[in-house]
Formats: sequence, structure tokens, C-alpha cells
Amino acid sequence: MNILEIRNLHVSVQRKPILCGVELALQPGEIHAIMGPNGSGKSTLANLLAGREECQVTAGEVFYQGLDLLSLAPEERARAGVFLGFQHPVEIPGVSTARLLKEAFNARQRYRRLPEMDAIAFRDHLGAQAGKLGLPADWLLRPVNVGFSGGEKKRNELLQMLVLEPHLAILDEIDSGLDIDALALVAEGINALRDPGRATLLITHYPRLLDRVAPDRVHVLMGGRIIVSGDMALARELERQGYGWLEEVAT
Amino acid sequence: MNALLQVCQQQLLAADAQLPGHDALSIRRFRQEAMQRALQTGLPTQQMEHWKYTPTRWLTESAYAFHAGGCVGLDPEDLKALLVARGQVHHLVFVNGLLSLPLSGLDGLPAGVQVESMARLARESPEALEPWLGSDVTGADQGLAALNQALWPDGAFVRLASGVQLSQPLQLLFLTTSFREPIVTLPWSVVILGEGARAQVIESYATLGQGDHFTNARTTLVLGQGAQLDHLLLLAESDRAHHVGSVQATQLGASRLAARVFAVGGALTRHELHVALAGAEAECHPDGLFVAGGRQHLELHSWIHHLHSHTRSQQWFKGVLDGEARGVFNGVVRVPQGVREIQARQQTDNLLLSDRAEIAAKPQLEIHSDAVQCHHGATVGSLDAEAIFYLRSRGLDEECARKLLVQGFIDVLLQRVQPAVVREWIARRLNSGEVAS
Repeated sequence: MNILEIRNLHVSVQRKPILCGVELALQPGEIHAIMGPNGSGKSTLANLLAGREECQVTAGEVFYQGLDLLSLAPEERARAGVFLGFQHPVEIPGVSTARLLKEAFNARQRYRRLPEMDAIAFRDHLGAQAGKLGLPADWLLRPVNVGFSGGEKKRNELLQMLVLEPHLAILDEIDSGLDIDALALVAEGINALRDPGRATLLITHYPRLLDRVAPDRVHVLMGGRIIVSGDMALARELERQGYGWLEEVAT
Repeated sequence: MNALLQVCQQQLLAADAQLPGHDALSIRRFRQEAMQRALQTGLPTQQMEHWKYTPTRWLTESAYAFHAGGCVGLDPEDLKALLVARGQVHHLVFVNGLLSLPLSGLDGLPAGVQVESMARLARESPEALEPWLGSDVTGADQGLAALNQALWPDGAFVRLASGVQLSQPLQLLFLTTSFREPIVTLPWSVVILGEGARAQVIESYATLGQGDHFTNARTTLVLGQGAQLDHLLLLAESDRAHHVGSVQATQLGASRLAARVFAVGGALTRHELHVALAGAEAECHPDGLFVAGGRQHLELHSWIHHLHSHTRSQQWFKGVLDGEARGVFNGVVRVPQGVREIQARQQTDNLLLSDRAEIAAKPQLEIHSDAVQCHHGATVGSLDAEAIFYLRSRGLDEECARKLLVQGFIDVLLQRVQPAVVREWIARRLNSGEVAS
């Protein structure tokens, strides 16, 4: 069964059509990248998959591990194993990353009828994941994203992904604002979750992240549709030539 | 004349001989003069500027009775949740206005610390009270404060000698038990810190049962040169109760006051903080939080008087309002002419969780001097929809997300409370009410 299957998806935001017939399938173990010019609908696709209300589906279907994804509330999607790494992570004053993740982790455990993790065990689990990303010890106790730089916010998204171990991770420009060292850590984090049970959808503008995670497929989203798919060679071609040469295909 | 005033005047006539301090001319005269002031001023009405947001009809419509005080048959177990962990604080418990020694615990008070009943002090050594009788309340239209001055039956008297440090917090619990007819209680407490003394005093108000009653409370704080007081007030009476209270602080040079108020209870709760910064390098840090739901009406007022040059005040008040609740914050900062080198900061942030909740947040700066650094800000907002979606996208349901965001909003004030045992107790008391439920 595909982890994610999108069929003929049409989505409007504030009554304006943004996605116009997207077709996409991710098999277990795969990493796919979606590239495309600004305003092509990449973030709308990510937001739609996470359940943002502003995204109105006007036609089409989305299946996640065989479930009708569109019928689930955002929190149900998350508990079932869908994770969105935000392009612009939100600041949550007064709520620590540790607190957020403990609530999130245990909500998922309850959904799956698994025992909740006690405070001490969870702290250890969290500490281990933070260590992998080279985050300082007090990071987890700081309010979520408050006063973080752009790169720190992205690392915090990745930390949450590693702790929640999603089956489908959608990472919306996780590589923007990262320096080279941080980029390497983020790539490592993505690769750490690469296993036959999971799939990842990377939305990015730059091949430098793709070089490190080696996606199975690269798609170009333009004009609300995936107009061409390929492998890493396509990403390199885009870097060299931009998107102009594809405009004919798009129209 | 208003029924409550009439009842109070009768009480002063009828029970005069039983009121503590009757045998001391100074106290007796003070009570009579206060009653005259109360009669002159009258009870507050919404025509008075500083009461215009405060409903006052209940003052004329309810028939509050005086109660002989005390209550038999109270089990210390009943009070467990109302006290900070036993053994970690000294505590005095007042029931229906009078001190209950069996419910109190003052073991191990260090030398130089006096903690006792105001009633006993007024009877046995009234001269010790005389200096504090005239500590006037500085706000406008203080008819209710005058009633307290006329009729207070008891309260706590706390005095630390110079240089003495109270290592454990001292809790003063004012408890009212429900009766068939609603009662009025009028506690007056006095806390005096000698030069360089340090203490934490927690004053909390609670109801056993769900009944209506009226607490008209007054607290006098005096901080000597270099003294440090952490005063924490928890207002958590029954959702049918009415509470009007004031804390009046006078600070000498280089003293430091942290005045924190957490208001969650009461059909109507109105608290006024008055601080007189009367010596160089004196500073006060008032923090306040109200959390109201249903049809509650909660008010926090602060009046900071920078009477001396080189004084500082830093205030942060927050409000959370749900349902049809109403909240009021009114913060007055006064700097008279000729006073220089003042730093005054005031911030109020408010969160409305429902369309029908209302807040009136009013900074009022009365600055008559140029050499002043003064900042104030006021915000009112609702929960951030983007933050709710973010939390939901992590697996939290909407209710849990909202609760976490509200907790996050108030956490910054909670985290300033030390030690942890007090902070955790406050957090539990906040959660046992309507907070973010």
C-alpha cells in the first residue's frame, strides 16, 4: 500500500484555485522532493495534507496508508503519523518544547492504544534526540520557537519530527535559513528516519539538501500541477536553467 | 441610608464593647471616626470615577449579616488544598473573620518575628497598634475601606525586627464558610518589616462551600530601610462571593516589594494595590493576573505613588477572560512635581477567549515631573489561530491546544513565584478553578 496517494487533487484558497489536478504517490521507504517557482502551490499542498482549514478541496482524493486523509481532523492526522514541518514555525510563548512534545507524543500513544511514556522515560527519549541535532540542554525547556533564529526554528521542527517518528513527514522548506553545518544535521535527521515503513515529502528550492538526502523522485509543481518528474538529474537541471524552460509544458 | 451602612452602624453601636481595642481610647476613637468617614463618603456607586466599571447594585440589594466569627468542627483535612504544603510554611488560619489557633501552625518561628492576632494585640497592647491606625488608604472614594477601619474584628499582625529573615513563607488564610444568610467579614492585617528584614507573606482568601458572602479586606504593609517583602495574594473565593480589598504599602529607602496578585474567584472581586515609594532607591514590582469565566467580574487596580526621587516601579498585569466575564485593569502611576530620576514601567496584556467577554484596561499616568522614564503598554487579543493549528498539527486536540496556550500566557507571571513549592501550589489553585478548562 502507498503511504500517500493523491488523485486529481484540486484545492482553492479563498476561492482562488491553487492546485489543479495534482497526482502523486509515495511508496514506503521513499523520499520525494517537490520543487517549483514561488506561488506554484507547494506550501498549499503541504498545508492541505496537514489539514489547514483555509485549504478547500474542490475535487480529488487523498489517501494516507489507505485512510481517507481528508476526512480526518489535523490532530487525527498527526496521531496517525502525519507530520508537517512548517515553513514558518510558530512561536508559542510560555509553552516549552518539552511540554509540547510530551503532550503530542502521549496523544499519539493514546490514539494507537499504546501506553503513555512516563516523565522520566520521555525526558531521556527527548534528550537523546536533541543530542543528535546538537541542540543545547536547555533548548527543550525554552518556549517553543520564541526568540529563535530562522535556522533554530527549522532545527526545532526537525527535533519534533525525530521525537514523533511520523510515517509521513512533509517538510516545507526545512532547509531555508540554515547554514552549512545545520544543513548537514538536518539532512542526517531526515536520513535517520529513512526506513521501509516511512516516507518523506521534501519541499525545497535548492538541490543542496537533496544532494545529502538523495531523493527517490523529484517533481516540479507549476501552475498547480506536477508537470514533470524525474530523479536528481532533474534537480540539477533546474538549478542550472531555472524554471523558464518548463513554462511551455506548464501551459 | 443604604442597608449595609445601616447594618454596619448598628453593629458599631451594638457590638462596640466586643470589638477589639474598645478599652483603648485611640482605637475606639479611630473606629468612630472611620464610621463617620464611611457615612460621609457613602458606599461606592458607578457615578464615582474609579468605580464606574464596578457593578455596585449588590451592595444595596444583598442583606449581609455580621457573624460572631469562628466555626466549630472544621477538620484540618478540609483545609489541605487551601494551604501551601504543610511543614513548609508557617500559617495562620482565620475562619469567618476570626483567628483559629487550632488550625494554625507557627512552629519554629525565628527570634525577632512576631506573628499574632490583631484582636489579641488590640486588647492586650493597643499601644503597639497605634502607629499603624492612621495608615490611610490613598485611593479615591474609600467608603468600604473606612467601613473596614471602623469594624475590623481581627486579622494578622506580623512584625519582623531589623535584620531578621523569615526563611519559610508565612501564609495567612482567610476562610469563609457558607451560611444560610450571607455574611460580611472585614479582616485587617498589618505586616511590618524592620530595617533590612526579609520575608515572604502569602495572603489567601477562600470559601468552604458555594455560598455568597462579602469580604471587605484591608492589608497594611510597611517596609523599613532596605527591607525586602514578597507579598503574594490569592483571591479564590466562591463564584458567588463578593470581595473588595486593598493592600496599602509604604516603602522606605532601598526597600524592595514584590506584590503579586492572582485573582480567580468571586462573582465580583476587586483588588486595589496602593504603594507609596517614600525613600530613595525604593522599588516595587507589582504583578497581577486575573482569570475569569462564566459571569465573573474581576478587577485589579494599582496606584503607585513615586513620592521620592530615585524610585522605581515595574508592573505587569495580565487578564484571561472567558464566557461572559468582565475584567478591569486600572493602573495609576503618580509622580509629583519636584521628584526626579524615576523609572516607571507598566504593562497590561489581556486575552479574550470568548466573543462575549469584555476587558477595560486603562493605564493612567499622572506625571508632573520631567526627569522621569515612564513606559506603559496595553494589549488585548484572542488566542492565535496559527498557534492553535500548529499544536493541532502535532496531535493535540483543539481544547488541549487552547488550554496549553492559556497556560503559556499566564506562565510568565507564575514562573516569577518562588520557591517552587509556592509556585506549584498557586498553579494547582489556578487549575482547580475555571482556568482554561
